[in-house]
Amino acid sequence: MAGVNQVTEHTAELLSAYLDGELTKSELREVVEVLETNQEAVALFRGLQATRRTVRTLPTLDMPIGLIPDAHLGDQLSAYLDGELITAEIPAVSEHIEHCSECRHELAELDRARIAVRALPGVEPPDFLMPRVEDRKEADDPSRVTRLRRRTAVAVAAGVAAIALLFVAMPLVDDSAEPSSVSIVDLGSRHGARVSNSNGGVVGGATGFQVDSP
Amino acid sequence: MSRFARATAVAVTALAVGLASPGAAVADELTDLLEGVWSSTYTADRFVVSVWDGQTSVSKAFVEHADGVEMVRVDSSWTLIGGGRAMAIDETPAGIVFRSESVPIQSSRYTVEETDAARHMGRDCTLMSVLEGDVLRATFLVDGYTGAPLIVETYLPDGSMFRRVSLQNFKPYRTYDAPSTDPGSYEVLVPVRDDRLPGSVAGYDLVDTFEAPGQGIQGFYRDGLFSFSLFVLPHGTQVTGMDSASAYSVGDDVYEVAPTAHDVRIHWTASGGEMVLVGDLPPDHADEVLAELPQPYGRGFFERLWHRLFG
Repeated sequence: MAGVNQVTEHTAELLSAYLDGELTKSELREVVEVLETNQEAVALFRGLQATRRTVRTLPTLDMPIGLIPDAHLGDQLSAYLDGELITAEIPAVSEHIEHCSECRHELAELDRARIAVRALPGVEPPDFLMPRVEDRKEADDPSRVTRLRRRTAVAVAAGVAAIALLFVAMPLVDDSAEPSSVSIVDLGSRHGARVSNSNGGVVGGATGFQVDSP
Repeated sequence: MSRFARATAVAVTALAVGLASPGAAVADELTDLLEGVWSSTYTADRFVVSVWDGQTSVSKAFVEHADGVEMVRVDSSWTLIGGGRAMAIDETPAGIVFRSESVPIQSSRYTVEETDAARHMGRDCTLMSVLEGDVLRATFLVDGYTGAPLIVETYLPDGSMFRRVSLQNFKPYRTYDAPSTDPGSYEVLVPVRDDRLPGSVAGYDLVDTFEAPGQGIQGFYRDGLFSFSLFVLPHGTQVTGMDSASAYSVGDDVYEVAPTAHDVRIHWTASGGEMVLVGDLPPDHADEVLAELPQPYGRGFFERLWHRLFG
């Protein structure tokens, strides 16, 4: 004879569907009622939740390279880093990156290269100091060397003057003239999103995030 | 095969794989507590009160929490947060997705004690205490039926309360319709390799690193209970939204601090760039963290000149 607290297969199906977010409103009411009154259903519910957690926290295994279809991302990786993919392409690309160690490594290398390039000083030589490739023959001309020396001397003098000007003008320069700006709310959202991928966010309580559009 | 039978099959497979995997993590007490809280299912009004350096911040939000994912309503705005996502839910959903490992953090810093059984809002609860050494760092009043955190309080070493998160109008096992599956416009972030950030800071371990706006980087740090992100942005990047910030001193160093009910945002300029720390860590931890990070540099004339000329 079935006890009051026994879990029927129907209830088990409902609990599973509940975790999958597939219940109708009436089924949802039924589940809530069962969970409020049936300890065995609660135990089963927690077991199902634990299973989902176990699956979610399993280590990610790289697929053997020989099994990956010969369709790596190539130029799409660069576009991905540069934010040039269209929205519809992003899920497929990020999914591929998640499972393809080769593309992931290439992405990391590309990223390192980008960081290295970014770290270079953003100085563009003035035109008057640039030797023109098409005029290389002219560079061998002694009179040109003399002209270049004169120009270099002018450039050095100009540089000294510029530095002196910089000394004078520096206290007047405000950092706010820099073009790049970042919203603190956006940074807070990024932290919150990252926290939410683990069991964190408990002691601070998740916030109502304001997410800046990318 | 029925849906339940499929779930059972997945469970058996998962357990088999989990047992076979040498890398499977052994959960500790704190992880168990936080996992239970994280995976609980309820709707409620959540009130958060925090005190930072004498400044009190309060927030109220309606939350629908289910298995680590939350829909949060503040005023009339809905946000989905969970699984690495923070999405603004409106006609055109937008947000951020972090593709990162969701491995629980093991902590040797804290121990958990089950203090007492209690009744709250007519419900059977358990009071759990989290100790950092001999210091009571937090208490969790956990609903015995759902595992939901009805009240979470965190404390400073002197015993004063730093933050209180409480649930009211609590309804267990209520859930919500699945949010719109329209992907909208969102940014996907994957961890990047970057050697510029320290591997650990004042007891917090670097978990992973991501690109950040303005060509910066974001390092995510945890100590098992609290967490913060350290953003390093290029020199001169303007950090907006800090209008209400106040000066905060740690030793001889001065920082811009803007606390909210949920976290604290700290900004300073160091030799390595514009630094921003965002996290739910308590002030005494923040002081220790700041002391180990690059210090703010002065804004004197020659320092500015040197900085502008040589970075």
